[in-house]
Amino acid sequence: MDGPERSSPGRFNDGRNAASRRVRVSAVPEGLGIRGEDGFLVAVWRLGDVEREAAPGAEVRLRCVAEPAARLTLEDAGFADWVLPPTLPRRRSHGTLRMVVGLALGALVLLALAQALPGLSRYLVAFVPVETERAWGRSMAQGFESRFRVCRDGAGLAAMERLTARLAQGLPPDYHRVTLRVVDSPVVNALALPGAEIVVFRGLMVDMEHPDELAGVLAHELTHVGERHPTVAVMRGVGVGILVTLVTGDASGLVASAASALMAAAYSRDDEAAADRGAVALLTRAGIGHAGLAAFFRRLDRQEGGSGSLVAWIGTHPDSAVRAAAVEAAPLPRSAAPSMSEGEWSAVKSMCGG
Amino acid sequence: MTSPAIRPFRHLGFSGDICALALKNLALSVVTLSIWRFWGRTLVRRALWGKTTAWGDPLEYVGTGAELFKGFLLALVLVYLPLVAGFIWAQTLIEAENPLGGFLILVLYLLAALLIAAGSYRARRYQLCRTLWRGIRGGQTGSAWAYAARSLLVWVLIPLSLGWAAPWGEMWLARYRMANTTFGDRAFTCDARAGNLYGRYALVWVSALLLLGGLSLGIAGIAAQGMDEEEAAPLIGGLIILCLPLAVVMVGLPLAWYRQGVMVALAAGTGFDGCRFKAEIGYWAMVRLAIGNALISAMSMGVLRPWAALRIFRFGCAVLSVEGVPDFAAVHQGQDSGPGMGEGVVSVLDGVGEF
Ligand SMILES: [Zn+2]
Repeated sequence: MDGPERSSPGRFNDGRNAASRRVRVSAVPEGLGIRGEDGFLVAVWRLGDVEREAAPGAEVRLRCVAEPAARLTLEDAGFADWVLPPTLPRRRSHGTLRMVVGLALGALVLLALAQALPGLSRYLVAFVPVETERAWGRSMAQGFESRFRVCRDGAGLAAMERLTARLAQGLPPDYHRVTLRVVDSPVVNALALPGAEIVVFRGLMVDMEHPDELAGVLAHELTHVGERHPTVAVMRGVGVGILVTLVTGDASGLVASAASALMAAAYSRDDEAAADRGAVALLTRAGIGHAGLAAFFRRLDRQEGGSGSLVAWIGTHPDSAVRAAAVEAAPLPRSAAPSMSEGEWSAVKSMCGG
Repeated sequence: MTSPAIRPFRHLGFSGDICALALKNLALSVVTLSIWRFWGRTLVRRALWGKTTAWGDPLEYVGTGAELFKGFLLALVLVYLPLVAGFIWAQTLIEAENPLGGFLILVLYLLAALLIAAGSYRARRYQLCRTLWRGIRGGQTGSAWAYAARSLLVWVLIPLSLGWAAPWGEMWLARYRMANTTFGDRAFTCDARAGNLYGRYALVWVSALLLLGGLSLGIAGIAAQGMDEEEAAPLIGGLIILCLPLAVVMVGLPLAWYRQGVMVALAAGTGFDGCRFKAEIGYWAMVRLAIGNALISAMSMGVLRPWAALRIFRFGCAVLSVEGVPDFAAVHQGQDSGPGMGEGVVSVLDGVGEF
């Protein structure tokens, strides 16, 4: 042992150029004395400023807070153990545990956001101008026109439009004028688009036994329109896409998911329950009564078990029996007025040449 | 000046260590709903860089997970969401049979391609700026948009030339990248050309053509039997499945020979401070590396990709040599301290791969 004369050979990089200079490092009162091969002092590093860098082999690499770009490599690890305080800070030892806890909290925030998404999109929809929503819905409706034949049979369509206008009186003024489209398709379905657009498939009318059933479904879709559910659903779809991107880091699926949200616009259960309640309110206000809507749900319930592959409405509106019961629980209006005359109903039933 | 070539690079990392790190990252990613991935990637890079030495001194990776995370969030909000909004708008226009919709989609795809190319160039700048050796930073000059425009031109020319523009385009882009790579205040030089690669490329091209020709002949033969679609479909499917191992041999092996040529030419064309690089790559060693890495990534479903990256580092260090020693005392710290955050666009649109 050389006692106080103890020192280590090493290599020094001054951080200004990329040269590697051979040095001898010894303990001096101020800390580490770094001398060139010529014996001249190159630098003195205070022990309190010294941090340890990761090194691949048995050597010890150090840096100094005062000269962050400079590096010192000690080739004698024994000297390093002797001269350096045992609790030398390792650079960037940023407490992995604290970090993970923080990130896990962040993940919880993400989960909370996912939970809050339906409410959030319902709130955000207030910032979408009605005109934007309408333009959106119009262009989507034109998409249906290009895919299906639109039935423009005068008498039947006129009767349905009268019924729709009568029911829409119970909605906010922006939605009193609703555009109704009947398309020639055997699918049993009706849907609301953003803005004030309702699309009814011919199969729905074929399936129905009474005009009050049609009034019920129209009132249900009108409530979706009045409460802007289609726009809410689109925003929820985009939100889900953003959250999925945050989690997976892969955004390639987001465009597709947003586009499909736009087209499929699946509503939440809350939205559906709200649409049923709203439908009862609209029907009551129009003096029609909700017996037809309940009867329609009862028949759907019987078809749910069967091979009702044509009944697309069930796919987006499950649990028909529960919903029928909820509708039936509401009080009936005193005097139920007919929703349509016999003549109007037969004109509707024979729409699209059916 | 001819100096003896030495191999100054070593990689001292162990497969076991990097696999342990990969598994730890997997566990932490699960706990944090994958947000850990930015910090995990940083730890992997620190391990890969730190175990790589050049002339006896290790590289250092000084990027942070927070920088990667910030870059990701910013790209998500500023680049990605507007792009999605544009795609949704185009989609509604197409639904409405508005001819503008198709045009808009085309423009957006073009924009997305440009953004990916520009983003990958910027990501490379970030990684280089966060790489230190002997305390001196690497870096990258040049413009991300100029690079993106060049990439786009290459992507357009390759199909137009039936593939023959590929070697030229690859070398053209590689020259731009390498000649804009800096260490301290010095730039690398690169004069690698594609001329000598066309022999190898022709072999790939002809064997691919033969394979495709044989396949189409087979399908045509099945069609000529006059079977209906239901009978012919499984036969055609079987033929395609039979062709897969054939494709690996007929196209994969020549392709590996071509890739070997690309890497050798690129190294030979690259220099720093008058010293030229050289890559002595064994053909079968390279094939083993490629197949091994493909198996590692596939079998572990991507979890062990850091191990595959380590194998690439080890391979690179073993085959690269430099003629002479650059005058490192004349290489000073550069002025550019690099971007404040990392890799935004690529980490959203494309992912930066194994490291
Ligand atoms: Zn509904």
